Amino acid sequence: MASSGSAAPARDDAAAPWKTRFRRLGGAQVRDLLGEPDPETRLKILDHLDRNCRAFIAHAPFCCLATSNGAGEADCSPRGDYPGFARVLDENTLAVPDRLGNKLGDSFTNIVENPHIGMLFFVPGAVETLRVNGRAYVTDDRDLRTMLEQDGVRPQMATVVEVEAAYLHCGRALLRSRLWEPDMKDLADEIPSPGTFWADAAKAAGAAEAAGLDAERLDRLFEAGYQELY
Amino acid sequence: MMLREGGRLLTVVRTERQARDIVALDLTDPAGEPLPAWEPGAHIDVQLVTRHLRQYSLCGDPGDRSRYRIAVLRERLSRGASAYVHSFLRVGKRVRVWEPRNHFALEPAERYVFLAGGVGITPILPMVVQADRTGVPWKLAYSVRTREDAAFSDELAALDGDVTVRATSTEGRLDLPTYLGPGEAGTAVYCCGPPAFVDAVQDAMAGWPDGALRVERFVPAPVDFGPGQPFTAVCASTGKRVRVDADVSLMTALRRAKVPVPGACLRGTCGSCCVKVLAGVPQHRDAILPPDTMDRIHPCVSRSATPEIVLDL
Repeated sequence: MASSGSAAPARDDAAAPWKTRFRRLGGAQVRDLLGEPDPETRLKILDHLDRNCRAFIAHAPFCCLATSNGAGEADCSPRGDYPGFARVLDENTLAVPDRLGNKLGDSFTNIVENPHIGMLFFVPGAVETLRVNGRAYVTDDRDLRTMLEQDGVRPQMATVVEVEAAYLHCGRALLRSRLWEPDMKDLADEIPSPGTFWADAAKAAGAAEAAGLDAERLDRLFEAGYQELY
Repeated sequence: MMLREGGRLLTVVRTERQARDIVALDLTDPAGEPLPAWEPGAHIDVQLVTRHLRQYSLCGDPGDRSRYRIAVLRERLSRGASAYVHSFLRVGKRVRVWEPRNHFALEPAERYVFLAGGVGITPILPMVVQADRTGVPWKLAYSVRTREDAAFSDELAALDGDVTVRATSTEGRLDLPTYLGPGEAGTAVYCCGPPAFVDAVQDAMAGWPDGALRVERFVPAPVDFGPGQPFTAVCASTGKRVRVDADVSLMTALRRAKVPVPGACLRGTCGSCCVKVLAGVPQHRDAILPPDTMDRIHPCVSRSATPEIVLDL
């Protein structure tokens, strides 16, 4: 392992790079390095969901939802269900159901403080992704929740997004990552189990409950929980 | 959410707007193979590429084995499927389809009265055509909200019979007791429509002979079966015993025990989750099977009347 030099010492057994603090660039410097985008590039940015965007969302079973709180602290979380689970209501509005989760509700508490939201939609097999940005609010409207019902279960809440920008993001990141290639799935065998994540985090936090949190038992809890998706 | 096993992919070869919110779709086998036969009243399970699984009545010509015809109402509060069909299911696209099933078969009678409410016309239309062809006297009342909501105008106009199309928003509701008249032996009444329509028909037929009315509901009639009792389901092939608690459906208990049963409506109307019963007495809570059926069960809503029920799983 190389000397850590003037950087902060590595914590625990994480592989320490030679340093972890670097020169910070300003906007002008970043622009200098990036260069200017082709003028045509900006033309693909819509201020609404056109028929192509609507078709993309209707076939997307998964998206990432980025929000931040009133202080601007950011968070990103996954949402997924039947393809088209995020329902386009008109060309400026879409709705995302709240499904069974961990009840932390980070996205909801953020949206209530700060409506700005960024979404990234994925269609399995497609390398392009759809970016949708806008302002969101949370509702318990009964009709809307009925429309978002799935497998006989009506969500308690829905997030409504008023679209301000939408565009297709090019596929290079997914091509380079080979995200949808079946042979990439062996990577999943190499990461710690969810129970390990939970048990280790509780131990590291020194929580009194940590003693009872055994990774294998937690993994069984996850497995049982995964039987109940709605 | 998964692709259900079996079935076959059919191609949409024609779409036709039948009414303001109803589109008719013609489906054929891509290799031109003949499709399984069906009788009026039958429906098929249709799974979209979005994995939504829905039931649609066949409303084409049973004599034409080359195609199935379904008609899909765009629901005001679509839960996904009908909105998808209307927005994206175009000629050349494919859907997965299973063999027709019939819980609403047209039984022989001296004369028929057909009552359709809204998109409930779909199973009724082939019945009317069959009665017309076979020379059995019939009449049809078709209740729609407005004239723009009436489907199959051409097909109905081609029939030489007593067809009443009633636009309730301008003409008010059909006077059912007058239309139906007193109950007459030999008359069979076939009714399909939204819950309020079916309820009104049932009320109007209170004095009719038992069994004169055959109904297909979009939504099951609310029936209070009281609280469920716990029981044990036994899977015959493995001997696996699955405890079904009072507040859990048989289907959910099976799924938790990793014996998944595919289901579509989950409320006892579609019949897609049907499982054979080998021993024990089923307590039917669905809208399809007669209460004395012993050999089958719909585990989405039905339970066991005996402490143990053995299933062909």
